[in-house]
Amino acid sequence: MNHAIISCLHANLPAAEAVLNDIDRQGIDTITCLGDLVGYGPQPNEVVELIRKRGIATCQGCWDEDIIDGLNACECSYPSQLAERRGHLAHQWTDDQLTDENKSFLASLPTSLRRDRLLFVHGSPNSQHEYLLPDMDAFAALERVETAGADILFCGHTHQPYVRELRDGSIRVRLQNADHGNDQGEELTLPMRKIVNAGSVGEPRHGSTNATYVIHNDATDEVEIKEVAYDVGRTCQAIVEAGLPKVFAWRLSHGFEFAEQAEDASHVCER
Amino acid sequence: MIERWALVSGLRGDLETYDLIQRDLKKTRGVTALFVLGDLVGPERNCDALLDRLKNPHRGDLKPDCIYGWWEEQLLAERGFRGERKADALRLSQGEDAVSALLNTVNPSHLKWLASLQFGFIELDCALIHGSSSDVGDNLTSETSPLILLDRLTRLNVNRLFTARSTKQFHLELTGGGINSQVKDLNGKREQQQEVPKRSVIGIGAGLNYTLYDIGSDKTHFLTAGSKTNPKGKGFA
Repeated sequence: MNHAIISCLHANLPAAEAVLNDIDRQGIDTITCLGDLVGYGPQPNEVVELIRKRGIATCQGCWDEDIIDGLNACECSYPSQLAERRGHLAHQWTDDQLTDENKSFLASLPTSLRRDRLLFVHGSPNSQHEYLLPDMDAFAALERVETAGADILFCGHTHQPYVRELRDGSIRVRLQNADHGNDQGEELTLPMRKIVNAGSVGEPRHGSTNATYVIHNDATDEVEIKEVAYDVGRTCQAIVEAGLPKVFAWRLSHGFEFAEQAEDASHVCER
Repeated sequence: MIERWALVSGLRGDLETYDLIQRDLKKTRGVTALFVLGDLVGPERNCDALLDRLKNPHRGDLKPDCIYGWWEEQLLAERGFRGERKADALRLSQGEDAVSALLNTVNPSHLKWLASLQFGFIELDCALIHGSSSDVGDNLTSETSPLILLDRLTRLNVNRLFTARSTKQFHLELTGGGINSQVKDLNGKREQQQEVPKRSVIGIGAGLNYTLYDIGSDKTHFLTAGSKTNPKGKGFA
């Protein structure tokens, strides 16, 4: 059976509607959302209400968490301090706009969802804020999936869709300890695991303006990355009219992250 | 010339044990640094005398470089030095009485100094941490999955991780292996191969059991303070 996974809607209603229509057209009725319903975009209430109305199983993203808990979480992932400042502006705007009912919904979301050996998270099993990038250390990537007890880990947060298969792994070790001084060598065979990143519906950064999501077939384990065109101009106009930073509209219309050089490249978060 | 580090943990207020270790170190050639990897305090005995000695070494003592451990974390949390967090891990595992006992073993005048201690040290290509890069309470042992050990090393980009939380003495070396991965995205597919880097996790022990590390030869020696064993007896390359 096919099921669809969407992530990072970021208050972009035209993109969310277009993706859900695309999924509906294929007759898929199981949809899982990996969070970040709000942030950056101009329609936070509308997007939250769409997800609530459709009854889509959703886990909490980093933006959803920060709106509820305040900006206590580490945000070192911003590419520059200017970007961080813009993010804070968007946070304040979103906080002002969201209704109490929609905030309560975001607060009620779990940090992960599990169906058998499939695990759904926003960033990683460790944190909504951790990026699992496609080229990260393969052993570290495998550790995230294996420690969480999953065969396939579905995540978002990077806004770049990918499927990564980790296989044929092994680690050889030699142990020496105080009680048994002799070497004890052994080899651990690592299991095959998969990480599937759904990309972003509302703020793609993979080099195209199209929204992305993925379809997974739970019988064959095949994964298809889907792209959906939508009216980007409509969202860009709404961003500008809402008074949000214009660069959000600029990057949405280009499909990649815009980041100035950090004012202080050595900035290290101490929160 | 041999250059050695001494690595100690789990003193838990035991000045007598610390004194025995200092006496051992005076008789050992080449020890240039003494790292105390946390758990300076504990609930069993009053810790003030040990803390005074660590802060103000006696003449002839090897000056200790200390970091905080799990027990300090619990104490500092309960005393309000960790924001809204309290000593929840201690409360959950050992109950309210253990929390009260811990509070009673350390004079509040030591708290500011304990709160100033770092999470860990990076020296050369080695990380010296009470638990691991993941958490001060991360209990790494020789039975921990090598995948997790490699992850903890990778997070810090070090070749050796000296850890104390388990209280065990062990030297686990990652000697080989690898992994293949295939990434598929909207631009196509690409294959990657990665080898296991040669790295080690070393459990340094606790209390009377401590470790010497020869930084030139990369040898570890597991010792017990006050015993006759000399470093050559338990040396591991």
